[in-house]
Amino acid sequence: MATPRQRAVRIIITAVVLLGAFSTLFFAMAQKDAQFYKHVNEVMASPTQWYGKNLQMHGFVDGEPEQLPHTLRYRFHIKNGGSSVLATYEGLVPDTFKAGSEVVLTGQLQPDGFHVGPNGIMAKCPSKYTPSDGAAARGGD
Amino acid sequence: MASLGTFLILAAFVTASGACAACLAGARRQNRRLVDGGVGLMHVVTAMMLVASAVIVHAFVTEDYRIKYVQHYSDEVQPMFFKLASYWGGLDGSIMFWVTLLAIFGSVAVYINRERYRLLIPWVVSVISVVEMFFLFLMVVHNNPFETFLTTTPATGQGLNPLLQNYYMAIHPPMLYLGFVGMTIPFAFGMAALATGQLDDSWLRAVRRWTMLAWLFLTVGLTLGALWAYETLGWGGYWGWDPVENAGLLPWFTATAFLHSVMVQERRSMLKIWNVSLVIVTFFLTIFGTFMTRSGVVQSVHAFGEDRQLAWMFTIFMIATLVGSFSLVIYRLPLLRARNELDSWVSREAAFLANNWVLLFAAFFVLFATMFPTLSEAVRGERLTVASDFFNKWMTPVGLVLLFLTGVGPLLAWKKSTLTNLRMQFLWPVAATVATAAATTLVGIGFWSSGLCFALCAFVTMTILQEFWRGMRVRQSATRTDLFTALVGLVARSRRRYGGYIVHVGIVLAFLGFAGNGSKQDLEITLKPGQTVTLGAFNIRYVSLSVSDDGQKQIVTAHEDVASGGKHVADLYPGKSFFRNHESEPVSDVAMRRSVSGDLYLVLGGYNVTTQEAEFKMFINPLVNWIWLGVAVMIIGTVIAFMPERTFSFATARVPAGAATTSLILLAVLVGGATTVRAQHVELPNAVIVPPKSPLEKEMQSRIICMCGTCGRKKVGECTCTDAAAMREEIAQLTAAGKSRDEIIQYFIDKYGSQEVLSQPIDRGFNRLAWLFPYAAGLCGILVVTGTAVRWSHRAAPAADPAPSTADPALESRLDHELEDLD
Repeated sequence: MATPRQRAVRIIITAVVLLGAFSTLFFAMAQKDAQFYKHVNEVMASPTQWYGKNLQMHGFVDGEPEQLPHTLRYRFHIKNGGSSVLATYEGLVPDTFKAGSEVVLTGQLQPDGFHVGPNGIMAKCPSKYTPSDGAAARGGD
Repeated sequence: MASLGTFLILAAFVTASGACAACLAGARRQNRRLVDGGVGLMHVVTAMMLVASAVIVHAFVTEDYRIKYVQHYSDEVQPMFFKLASYWGGLDGSIMFWVTLLAIFGSVAVYINRERYRLLIPWVVSVISVVEMFFLFLMVVHNNPFETFLTTTPATGQGLNPLLQNYYMAIHPPMLYLGFVGMTIPFAFGMAALATGQLDDSWLRAVRRWTMLAWLFLTVGLTLGALWAYETLGWGGYWGWDPVENAGLLPWFTATAFLHSVMVQERRSMLKIWNVSLVIVTFFLTIFGTFMTRSGVVQSVHAFGEDRQLAWMFTIFMIATLVGSFSLVIYRLPLLRARNELDSWVSREAAFLANNWVLLFAAFFVLFATMFPTLSEAVRGERLTVASDFFNKWMTPVGLVLLFLTGVGPLLAWKKSTLTNLRMQFLWPVAATVATAAATTLVGIGFWSSGLCFALCAFVTMTILQEFWRGMRVRQSATRTDLFTALVGLVARSRRRYGGYIVHVGIVLAFLGFAGNGSKQDLEITLKPGQTVTLGAFNIRYVSLSVSDDGQKQIVTAHEDVASGGKHVADLYPGKSFFRNHESEPVSDVAMRRSVSGDLYLVLGGYNVTTQEAEFKMFINPLVNWIWLGVAVMIIGTVIAFMPERTFSFATARVPAGAATTSLILLAVLVGGATTVRAQHVELPNAVIVPPKSPLEKEMQSRIICMCGTCGRKKVGECTCTDAAAMREEIAQLTAAGKSRDEIIQYFIDKYGSQEVLSQPIDRGFNRLAWLFPYAAGLCGILVVTGTAVRWSHRAAPAADPAPSTADPALESRLDHELEDLD
């Protein structure tokens, strides 16, 4: 039988270990894998500080996206709140991706534009309860 | 009708409060009649909710567009099946569905336990009523499903999103709800136990089957969601760690922990605080999950959108629940003190404790990571999200640890394992693990994490096989029967334990499926007709692109010729469907070739009909079907574990020893031995099914069956083969020529020689017997089985029972009863 004091010590040690584990989690997340969710104007207000960081950029497709013929490479502009930025992407795009669609792009901002990562285009539908793109969609629960 | 519905919700709210008050007062004053009154009021609430549900379903069926909810989720052309399923298609209806299910469960739980757990019942009723009141309150002040249009009623409905119009929509939400709502009952009993101080095993016994059932529904619901995403959405995976998906997973973790942890309390009177806490946390997480997906707190592709008011109401309820429940726990801490201590780390209790911690960690990790955007915005002002890669990176080791514990648990003894125990128990499993690890490394599978996963799967499998084998041998020597009878008897005796082992087998199979993720392959490519691309072992040649229309939607389909090792293996038709009135929301038709070793999965992206150029996304998902198989095995295991004592003892009481075995072998031969040989159905996916021009033609298209022989007797209006097209043409000609219904039917009967060509036999004369026959056979079957069962149960002398029997059957049955709970 452990004395109350021994028991208290054990509990405290467990709690400290657990808290330590969770904190390392937090910092690990904050550094590498997390993506910042931003609107275009927020990013373009001071673009240099965002170069190379993982971003999820929210905006609207400005004009019809250009697709290089016979390839899966796309060039388009995305705008929000008065700012606009050029984006490039290679891969299949969701069905709802066209001029004016509301999109969230996952990728990195570089001096020559926003490079969207693989499967990085998420197009939202205007109405509620309806799924966004075909990449990860399901509605109504 | 709508006002009736609104009234019912209001009335249910008031009645539930009455039930709660009456039961609380009755419990405090020890007044039986007050408690009975409260229970009665609870049943009244159930009745009211059933009527309210009937009202909304009636509104859907009769297309009553005065009610906004009906108008939003239904339209004239929506099939009846989906009109009914639209009940839970939106937020308001889903809340009412929740309350209805809770009311039904509450009534059943209270009724079943009304005698045995009489002390707990008033508190159970109160807790359930309070939860009902919360959701009813939400409906009353905020999301009334019966809200009507105040001025003009729209003439048509908006209709359910076409993406939702598949059978998964009808089963996935109800299964999940059954799981979520089911977890309220154990919570209610836990609270009752805390309130009354009856903190021994009785409340655990009351909730054991409920928790198993709710857990099963939750598992099935989550799997259906994964299967739905996999088959219909075309992103090649089945789990994206999306907030809504995680919302369902969180209570699953804690419920699993609870199911295991109760065994320690029953055996060693330990972990009592853990058990009440786990049941509270599980309930809390079910509410939290609902909150997360409905309040807009986290962004999700599934989310219902933002609703600040709703978020506040949920938050207040959740805080109140946590504060109230844990206060009760603290208040009862003296009674919850364990009677025993952990004697050794090499013991089963320790394994269960580790299990609890790992599952709790998993739940909190997923919760934390899902809420990360909201938390980081609150703390740092920046909204940070984490992608599914992050989840997978962390959850893989967690999953492997859990898999390891699954194997280790049964191998360790209660209290303390000696070295001899350990050697005897671990020998074979460890040997199997090492052998598998060596084999996978030799074959070239990376050790982290697929190789390790396979090795651990071998470990767990060997453990379970060992348990079964040893149990069978012991029983065989005790009862002197053959091995199969021993197996059946073993499982029947300890259903919870061996049912649990079967569930673990299911888990192993599912992990095999997860391990396949490590060797996934995918490809995105633009192809011209005739071009071939290689993925994995397959050579996929793009043949052509075609467009067709079936009246409800336009379908664009690509024909892919798949070959492997030079031989033609399959024809796959990935495509897209554009539903009328929803052309801007196309639905992907994924084409899959499934096999035990994996799936070839094709999705059509963009296309150009004139140049026939098309974009494809192709995946190879190795071993993915083992996941679905594993879940099926888990269902079987749970059903076995769940079975109550009475069915088994009744069934096996007067039956000769070998009968169970013989029947099972016969069943296995019938089910497994027979295989249906089906000819390859020749399908024209771009077959244009011309809509019928007259009601008579339409009726004929569903009365006449396609006689191609390979489509399984589909109606001529639905089969896409050439024979059906020819028959449809004949019907069109006959109706155009002015033939009557009977003449057309007679024409087909003459042509094919019998009534086989009709979808139903003509309801006249001798044919009436054909209609009657199935019912008559069923009725006779029931009578025969019931009669035999009754006669057997009355048989005076017991059948020859080789097992040694004690002189006192009453003592024996008492022993059985005591021992059944010790697993």
